[in-house]
Amino acid sequence: MRPKLYFRLITALFFIFPIVLLLLQSITTPWRTREGINIQLESFTVLWSDPNLWTATVWSIIIGAVVLLFNLFIGLTAGKALAFYSFKGRSLIEALLLSPLLIPLLAVAIGLHLFMIRLDLADTWLGVALVHLVPTVPYTIKIFHHAYSQIGRPLLEQAENLGASVSHQFFTVELPLLKNAIRSVTFLTIVISLSQYAITAIIGGGSVITMPMIFFPFLNSANPPLMAALSIWFAVPPLVMYIAVEALLSLAPYSPTFWRNRT
Amino acid sequence: MSTAIEVKNLSKAYGKETIINQLSFKLNYEEKWSIVGPSGGGKTTLLRILAGLDQPSSGTIKVDGESVIGIDARKRKVGLVFQQPLLFPHMTVEENITYGARLSGTFSKTKTNDLLEAVSLTKSRTSFPSELSGGQQQRTALARALAAEPKILLLDEPFSSLDPALRQELRYWVRRLLDEREITSIFVTHDREEAMIMGDKIGIFHNGEFQQTASAETILDFPANPFVVQFFNNHILINDNSYAPLSRITLFETDDPSVVIKAELLHTTISYGERIAHVYIKEQDKRLSLRLPLQFNQKNYINLFVPKEHIHSFPLSQQGLE
Repeated sequence: MRPKLYFRLITALFFIFPIVLLLLQSITTPWRTREGINIQLESFTVLWSDPNLWTATVWSIIIGAVVLLFNLFIGLTAGKALAFYSFKGRSLIEALLLSPLLIPLLAVAIGLHLFMIRLDLADTWLGVALVHLVPTVPYTIKIFHHAYSQIGRPLLEQAENLGASVSHQFFTVELPLLKNAIRSVTFLTIVISLSQYAITAIIGGGSVITMPMIFFPFLNSANPPLMAALSIWFAVPPLVMYIAVEALLSLAPYSPTFWRNRT
Repeated sequence: MSTAIEVKNLSKAYGKETIINQLSFKLNYEEKWSIVGPSGGGKTTLLRILAGLDQPSSGTIKVDGESVIGIDARKRKVGLVFQQPLLFPHMTVEENITYGARLSGTFSKTKTNDLLEAVSLTKSRTSFPSELSGGQQQRTALARALAAEPKILLLDEPFSSLDPALRQELRYWVRRLLDEREITSIFVTHDREEAMIMGDKIGIFHNGEFQQTASAETILDFPANPFVVQFFNNHILINDNSYAPLSRITLFETDDPSVVIKAELLHTTISYGERIAHVYIKEQDKRLSLRLPLQFNQKNYINLFVPKEHIHSFPLSQQGLE
């Protein structure tokens, strides 16, 4: 029982406590000594009065969703190939796929900007979504590579031997067993995509407004309740995406029923 | 009886290394074969090729009279039970068993219940693989393979990950199940005893080919070549051309003319109520186990007397003299 207790303590201390503090801060006046704490909702009113907030939120979610889709496609295919197939130059390809993490993102973005201009993708949301692949895809490939290695090729050969086609194998065996990897990739991708300010500004050219674009000007306000409200608002897109992905995953064959967990 | 599977001139090579060399054999429906041989000899590769998971370098395979070369593993109707149970961890026992049956269009509730009963897992039908013991997992894997109604069932050392007592029990149990259901099967193992239990006919596989394909009795009476003698340990090799049954060896000099072989006595143990001597023959670099008379006094070195009348020659065709 001890590890369970530690787990609960750590969860409370590092996850629940900060969130509760943030929530409290967002709906109260600034905490100062000898002044009482008063409930206020002005922080959210100010936040929602920003004319760009909703557009930025919707675009952040759209771009995040597209980045996630690209990531899932690239990650699933590359991860599976790296885990299951041995071919010449495998380590080289693996290193190349991870290399974007080693090169400063701004350098990549400036290079890609020229490329995007030629492709007419500069100043478009699709261009922004594509450039967001640079800091996300290497992690996704790593996660799926590991997940597929854990599933192991023999399990899929067993499904094949029992008569399953490639697509049937994917939906009945791979997808259910990759759920945790997909959850991790969802959160990681959305959060990374949502946090990109510089590369979004360079490729988006100011015409694609995402949440960081309106978040940074607020940093000057030095108003703790407003900053807290904004931070909470920032957590909305990942949550929305997570719920959407979770809902989609629950449609997969052999999914857990709410009364029985599948191991 | 019609032919279930027919293999002709099957070869498999990885680069310059030949794993399977011009192998030909035929198995009729309801026949049960064992393939036995040293580990790493290519037995698993052979099964994978038959199941369609690997491609041969050359040769033909016919299942039920039709060539399956180039046909997907999923369409071959050749079931394979692997060394590991490889159950789908997110499915219950019942879902695992019906997985292949649903795909092959042979699913029925009655068959599922019947199979669950046959593998004694009716009570565990809603359990997940992680909640089962090793033996139960392997029984589920067997039921899953049978549920898809393959024309031939291949078993690749399915008991090797189990502890010895359980392995022994499952051998008899699986053999009975295969007999009752009249399943055509090929059972691969490196264990000689297991090969004798699981197959009516034993193929001794070495160097990419069958050294001998015969019943256990025939292998005991007429081993085909020195490898068979060395592998099965029923005989002592006199030279490259002749052998003698271990049961004819005496440890005391008799009046009969005999060949004398000097051996080092390594150890004595007791099995099946008999004292067993484990000896080392230096000239052949070979360890042997043979029965010891009860009154025998241990010494470091002993002489093995092989009566000349019990020394036999290998059949000419197997000596490479054909």
